[in-house]
Amino acid sequence: MATDAPALPNKLSKGPRQLGIVTDWGFRILALAAGLMVFVILALIAIYTTREALPWFREEGLGIFTDNWDPAHNDFGALGLIYGTMLVAGLAVLFSLPISIGIALFITDVAPQRFRRPFVYTVDLLAAIPSVVYGLWALLVLAEPLASLYESLSDATASIPILNTVFANPSASGKSFMTAGIIVAIMITPIITSITREVFATVPASQKEAALALGATRWEMIRGAVFPHSRSGMVAGTMIGLGRAMGETIAIALVIGASQRVSANILGPGDTLASVIANQFGEASGTHRAALIGCGVVLFAITIVISMGARALVTRADRRSAGA
Amino acid sequence: MTAPAVSLTQSTRKGRRELKNAIATTLFVASFVIALIPLTLIVVYVIRAGASVFSWAFLTDDLPFSNRREGGGMYPAIVGTLVITGTATAMAVPLGILGGIYLNEYGKKGIIAQVLRFLADVMTGVPSIVMGLFIYTIWVLPRKQAGLSGFAGALALGCLMLPIVIRTTEEILKVVPDELREGSYALGSRKAQAIRTVVMPHAAPGVISGALLGVARVAGETAPLLFTIGIVTSPNFNVFDGPNTALPQQIYINAATFGGFPAAQDRAWGAALALIGIVFLFTLVARIVTAIYTRRSAAV
Amino acid sequence: MKRITGYLRWLVSTALIVGLVPLGGAIASAADAPAQGGSATLNASGATFPQSYYEEVIGAFKQKDPNVTVNYAGGGSGKGRQDFADQVTDFGASDAPYNATDAAGVKGGTFFYFPTVAAPITVSYNLKNVKKLQLSPDTIAKIFQGEIKTWDDAAIKADNKGVKLPSTAITVAHRADGSGTTENFTKFLAAAAPSVWTLGSGSTVSWPSDTQAGQGNQGVGQIVKSTDGAIGYVDFSDAKALKLQFARIKNADGKYVAPTVKATTAAVGKAQVKDDLTYDPLNASGASAYPISAPTWLLVYQSQSDAAKASALKKFLNFIYGDGQKLAPEVDYAPLPKSLLDKAKAQVKQVGGSSGSTSSSTPST
Repeated sequence: MATDAPALPNKLSKGPRQLGIVTDWGFRILALAAGLMVFVILALIAIYTTREALPWFREEGLGIFTDNWDPAHNDFGALGLIYGTMLVAGLAVLFSLPISIGIALFITDVAPQRFRRPFVYTVDLLAAIPSVVYGLWALLVLAEPLASLYESLSDATASIPILNTVFANPSASGKSFMTAGIIVAIMITPIITSITREVFATVPASQKEAALALGATRWEMIRGAVFPHSRSGMVAGTMIGLGRAMGETIAIALVIGASQRVSANILGPGDTLASVIANQFGEASGTHRAALIGCGVVLFAITIVISMGARALVTRADRRSAGA
Repeated sequence: MTAPAVSLTQSTRKGRRELKNAIATTLFVASFVIALIPLTLIVVYVIRAGASVFSWAFLTDDLPFSNRREGGGMYPAIVGTLVITGTATAMAVPLGILGGIYLNEYGKKGIIAQVLRFLADVMTGVPSIVMGLFIYTIWVLPRKQAGLSGFAGALALGCLMLPIVIRTTEEILKVVPDELREGSYALGSRKAQAIRTVVMPHAAPGVISGALLGVARVAGETAPLLFTIGIVTSPNFNVFDGPNTALPQQIYINAATFGGFPAAQDRAWGAALALIGIVFLFTLVARIVTAIYTRRSAAV
Repeated sequence: MKRITGYLRWLVSTALIVGLVPLGGAIASAADAPAQGGSATLNASGATFPQSYYEEVIGAFKQKDPNVTVNYAGGGSGKGRQDFADQVTDFGASDAPYNATDAAGVKGGTFFYFPTVAAPITVSYNLKNVKKLQLSPDTIAKIFQGEIKTWDDAAIKADNKGVKLPSTAITVAHRADGSGTTENFTKFLAAAAPSVWTLGSGSTVSWPSDTQAGQGNQGVGQIVKSTDGAIGYVDFSDAKALKLQFARIKNADGKYVAPTVKATTAAVGKAQVKDDLTYDPLNASGASAYPISAPTWLLVYQSQSDAAKASALKKFLNFIYGDGQKLAPEVDYAPLPKSLLDKAKAQVKQVGGSSGSTSSSTPST
C-alpha cells in the first residue's frame, strides 16, 4: 500500500497539472463566451432594428398607433396590423386551448397507460410539420370550402345584432382573419398540449387517488385535483402558445388577404405585423422600410411583454400555492 | 388550506354526476380526435399530392426556368436546404452546447447566468421574420451584390437555433446526477475534464436529440430566408458564394405567387413532401437516439 | 469505458455529418466549377409583368451560352427598383421608371433603362356564363374603386348591350406588393377616366377595404381564377396561361379592342420615346391600339466593377435584342419596334463605361 503509492505533489509543478489549470480556465472562458454570444446578438438586433426604425417613430410619433397604413400616401399607422396580430392570435388560442387541454387530459387521465407514448408522439408530429406546409394546405385545400362556410355563416347571422358585424362580408376567396386563426390554432395546439400535459403529469398521484377514493367521478377528480394544481402551468402554456401565434408569419401571410385596416369583420381580409413585413419589405424604401422594421420591433416588444407576463404569473401562482 | 374546489357531499344525484363525467370524457376523446383530423388530412394530402409528382427526376432535376411550366425537379432546393441548415447547425450547435454548459456547470445561479438565461428566453421569442430582417440589414446590404447567399440564410437560421440549443442543453445537463460530477472531482479531475469525460458523455444523447429537434424546426423556416438567400434554378453547393434556394422558399413561391398554375401547385406539394420527409427524418433520429439512451441507462 | 466512447462516437459522428455537408459542398462546387473565363452569375429581381418572358429568355440564353447563369427573383417592380438601388442585384427589372424621390436613393451612380418588350394588361374576370365582356375606362374606374358592387350594374350593362349579366357580387383583385403593373394600370385610369378615378396612380394605391390582394401578376390571376365574380388586372401572358377570360377595353378612339400582341404593337408604335428610352404607350390613339399596353425595362448601371459580369450582362442584353425579340410573341409579349430596338442596341455599348474598363478580361462584344 504505502510504499508503492505515488508521492502527492505539495506544490504545483510545470507539466500536466499546470496545463490542466490553464485548459480548465480556458474552457470556462470559452463556455462563457459562447453564452455571451446570446447577449451580443440580441444587443445587435436591438440596436440595429431600433436604429433602422427610428425614422418611422420620428416621422409618425404617436401616429404609429393610428389605423392608417397607406404606403401610397406615405402614411404608416400600424393600428390595423397590431389589431390583426392580436385578433389572429386571440382566435387561435380561443380555438386551440379547449382542444389542447382536452387532449392533455385525454392522454394523462383517460387513455390507457400503454397508449400514452404513441399518442404523445402523434400529437408531436403536428408540431414537426413546417409552418409553410400548413400555409400551403390552408391556401390550396382549406380556403375554398371555408369560403362557402363563411357565406352560409354570414347569411345565417345577417339579422342578429352583434354577430352580423362580426360575420359581415365573407371573403370570397376564403382569405380572412378567421382562416388565419384556424390554421394557427392547429399549429399551436401541439405546443400548448405538450406543456399542459407535462404539468398535468406532475399532479401527485396521491391527490388524484384521494379524490377517487372519496367517490369522485373522473371529471370531478380532474376539477378537484388536477386543475387547481395546474392553473399556473396552463396559463404559462397558453401564453407560450399566444406568443408563438403572434410570431407566425408565413402561414398567415398565405391566407390572410393583405388588408391593413382595423375591421370588426373576422370573415374578411386583414393583415398582421409579421405578414405585412413578409409581403411588403422587398419593395420598401425610406420611411416604408423603416415602418416595416418598426413593425418588427413592435411585434418583438409585444412578444417580450407576453413572455415576461407568463413568467410573472407562473412565479406568483407558484408562490401562492407554496404558501397554501 | 382553501376550500375544496369540488364539494362531493352535495349533489348526491349520482346520475347527474355520472352524466357530467361521461360528457367530460367524451369531450376529451373528441379533442384528441379533432386534433388528429387536420394532422391526418394534411399528411395524407401532402403524401398523395406530392407522390403524384415525386420521381427520381423530381429529386434530381434542376428547377424549371419558368414556374408555370410542367417539369423540372427540386434538386437545387433539396441541396440548398441541406447545405444552409447544415451550416446553421455547424455554427449554432457547438456554440449552443458550450453556452448550455456554461449556464449549468459554471454560472448556475450567478448573476451573469441569470441574465443570460433571461436573454436566451427573450431570444427564443424573436419573430423569425425579424431575424431575417436583421441579417438582411447587417449582413446582406453592406455586401451589395455579394450579399445574397446561403450563408446569410444560415446566419439567420443559426441565430434562431442558438437559444433553443442553449436551453435544451442546460435542461439535459440539469438531469445529470451530481454524484457523477463529484465522483470525478474526487478522482482528481478538474471541472473541464469532468465535463468532458463524465458529464457530456452521459448527456450526449439528450443533447444530440435536442439539437436534432432544433434542426428539424429550423429546416422548415421560410421567413428568415425570404430576404437573405435570393433564388437559383440550378444547385449551389457553395454556401458562401452566390444565391441559393431552399424547399420552404420554393413552397412559398409556388403557392403564393404561382398557385394558380397546376404545375406550380404540383411542384409545391412535391417540395412539401420532400421537406416533411427531411424534417420527420431528423425528428425520428432524435427519438431513436433518446430511446437508445433510455434503454441503455435503464440497463445499467 | 465502452459507454463513454459510444456516446462520444455519436457526438463526433453527428457533428461530422452536419459539418461536412457545407464543407463538402464548397469542395464539390470548387471541383466542378468550370475553370474558364467568361463564367458569370447574374442576379436580378423585379417586375412580374415580364417575368414569363424573361424566364423563357433566360432558358434560351442558357442554351446558347452555358457559362452565364441568370437568376431572376421576381417580386414586383418596387422590389426590382429597390434592390437595384441598394446594389443587391446585378440588374433590375421595372415596369415603371423611378420617381424623383426614389431616383435619389440609387447608390451605384448613372444607370440605363433598357426597354425589352411590351404587353397588354388584361382586365380579367371570372363569370361562368359571360363569354364576351366590354368595358369602358369609366366603368373600370368605378368597379376598381368600389362604386360598382355587382355585375348587373347599369354602367356595365350600358357597355354590354344585349349581354345577360348575373347579379353576382364583384370581388376586386389587386396587387399586395409594389407593382409596376398597378402603376401602369392606374396611370391608364387616371388618363382615360380622369373625372371618375379618384385613387391616383402609383406602385401602391389605397384600394377599398373589401378587395383581395395577390402576390405578383400571377397571384392576382390566381384570385380571379378561383373566385366567382372576381375581376383583376393581369398581364396577358399569365392570363392566357391561366385560361382567364378578359374584357375588350374601349380605347381613346372609342373602339373596343381585345388585348393582343398586335394591338399592343400598334399602341407602342404611337408612343413618344424619351432620350433615356422611357416611353408611355398607355391610352394610345389609333383605332386598333389596345389602351392598356404597358412597357417594361431592365435597369443596368453604367459603371460595372466586375468585368466578367459586365461582359455577361452585355451578352444577355444583346440576346434579348436579337433572338429574344423573336421569342417574345411566342409567349404573348410584343417585341420592340425597330427604331426603339436600334436605340437600345446602341445603349448596350455604353454599359461598363464606353472605353474605360480597367480590367484586362475578355473584350466586350
